[in-house]
Amino acid sequence: MSVPSATLKPRSAAHHAAGWLAWRLLPATPFVLVLLLWMIGWYIFQPIPSTLPSVAAVIEAIWERAVSGELWTHIAASLSRLFVGAAVGIVTGIVFGFIAGLYRNVSEFLNPLVIFFNAISGIVWLPLMISWLGIGHALAIFVIWNTVFFIVFQNTVLGVQLVPQVFEQGIQSLGGGRWETIRSVTFPGALPYVLTGIRSGLGFGWRALIAAELVGAPEGLGQMIFAAAEFHRSDVIIAGCLIIGVIAIAMDRWLLAPIEQRTIQRWGLVIDTAKES
Amino acid sequence: MSTGAASVGVSPRLQRPEPALAALRRMFGGFKILLPFAVLIAIWWIIQAVGNFPPNVLVSPAAVWRAFVYLVTHGVMAEYASTSLWMIGIATVLSMLIGVPIGFAVGVNRYAAHALEGFLRFLQGISGIAWLPLAIIWFGFSHTTTLIVVMYTLIVPIIFNTMIGVRAIPENYALALRSLGASRLRLVKDVYLPGAMPSIVVGMRLGMGYGWRALIAAEMLVRKGGLGDLIFGARTFGQIDRIIVGMIMIGCLYIIVDRLIVQPIENLTVARWGMLRK
Amino acid sequence: MTFIAETAGDLRPRRSILLSPEVAKIALGVVLILLTLYGQQLYGMATASWRLDPSLRGATGPSNVIVVLDFQPERFHSERIQQYGAFAGRDGGLNRIRLRNVRPARLRELAAIPWVARIEPMK
Repeated sequence: MSVPSATLKPRSAAHHAAGWLAWRLLPATPFVLVLLLWMIGWYIFQPIPSTLPSVAAVIEAIWERAVSGELWTHIAASLSRLFVGAAVGIVTGIVFGFIAGLYRNVSEFLNPLVIFFNAISGIVWLPLMISWLGIGHALAIFVIWNTVFFIVFQNTVLGVQLVPQVFEQGIQSLGGGRWETIRSVTFPGALPYVLTGIRSGLGFGWRALIAAELVGAPEGLGQMIFAAAEFHRSDVIIAGCLIIGVIAIAMDRWLLAPIEQRTIQRWGLVIDTAKES
Repeated sequence: MSTGAASVGVSPRLQRPEPALAALRRMFGGFKILLPFAVLIAIWWIIQAVGNFPPNVLVSPAAVWRAFVYLVTHGVMAEYASTSLWMIGIATVLSMLIGVPIGFAVGVNRYAAHALEGFLRFLQGISGIAWLPLAIIWFGFSHTTTLIVVMYTLIVPIIFNTMIGVRAIPENYALALRSLGASRLRLVKDVYLPGAMPSIVVGMRLGMGYGWRALIAAEMLVRKGGLGDLIFGARTFGQIDRIIVGMIMIGCLYIIVDRLIVQPIENLTVARWGMLRK
Repeated sequence: MTFIAETAGDLRPRRSILLSPEVAKIALGVVLILLTLYGQQLYGMATASWRLDPSLRGATGPSNVIVVLDFQPERFHSERIQQYGAFAGRDGGLNRIRLRNVRPARLRELAAIPWVARIEPMK
């Protein structure tokens, strides 16, 4: 029969450590593979630089801009728009989410509207908003707000509605008023969902931002890529894309995941991680 | 309803399968669903009437309706909407055909899955739209460019979720069939495919959500037809009424595809094969 | 006894899958999408004979026609029309477009466009 036998050989500590290291390094293999294929392919086919730049050209493009300060201007512009838009989106999303979550008739009334506007959230507003706000910071911030708000709102409503009634009733039976209930039961109870919403929203928001900047913005990573396209500078384009991806990962891994971890650990609540970003 | 006494006099209505029409009507909440939109349109009407806005800033709901009728009766809406629908349809089918096998191939191996996970997240962080300028350099302003970008956006969640679906299947199921002598193909058909199906369909739904957005954005830049082209082009002429018609159409089409077709498929799949999910 | 009452509500007999709300939704969704994709085309094809001038109906070779629209065309419409033959200018108004050498198959397709008012022979 083909049932594998479970024999456990005793392994040395070094073997364990090597195994652990290999496991940790494994996620790097696709990147290394792509890099190798890129370098080999470039060497063999020698394509025109505007079609496929060499790895060296991309690195040089990044270095040039990092040294001249241009890169940091773009990154700062994009990130600042993200944070302003996301901050407003998160605050409005949580506030309205709580209101809708606490009053069932409000959430039922708003539900069809939320579903519809969620379907057109983000860059679909671009043409209309360009007409109203013109091209600039306000445009990008609106697109981000729009994207983040609906995600945070929906998750907050869900979180508030899912707080077990038993907890709320418990506080109230001990004499807690409305505010007390919200502060010490509803808010912590909804928090995991709110945080999932924030994490998701920021991921979506970052992507929507790049799309908005591509269409038109004074500076920013999206604009950097778009401007480079006009001059067929594919090295700058690829550089920009890589930086966008790195920031997305860094933001999620080192900013949002730890926040989520710490609050979940503190309140000891379990969430099913909806891997939506 | 769950007391013993009720079992004797259970009304026949509970045992007849619901006629579809009654189910449809019930499911739409008896048109209660339209009330919020009616309120919204009323508020819009009032703001526009009172605010005295120039027509290149805000128009009345009536003007938007007139623009809608014009675009439909003059063949414009049908063509642009069809282009977008065909694009998302083709992109979804192709992405499923490519993504599901890849997801399977990677998912069955623990190490491959772990290796690819970070890379897929990285790719997802770079949305398809960021690659659009590069795609334009390679393929020009054409439907190919749009298709490539939309497929990129679609395929990552599909691969990801297929991987997750395959990995979530308990080993025992496969082992049990193997111990009875099942071939690899049989394993795929009877264990892996049904087991991963719910996840795969969830991945398809997520992908379509991202893909539709990427499609509209791509159409805005490539300008070769589609609803994104429609609303972006209308902006050049300050035709706010058309922009709003386009936006509403984009929302409605997405809701039709997502809620009337994809979500029910998801529900049916989960109902049929969702035993393995916790 | 509770067992019987509970199953009456919970379990649905298999044959009602076809009448379940999910399938109804899918059917409705598919109908709406098909309508969007093909509705106008089908209408145009059904009413094609009303648009084509009688003298053009049995055309076996390329014809010279005037495509008449009952509205002021936008660039969209002009572009579409001009793909069916060689553009030969306007015939009086912007809504009357002259086309030369329109092949019979293309002529039929032209007649099936729902927003075309009439197709007249060129004199």
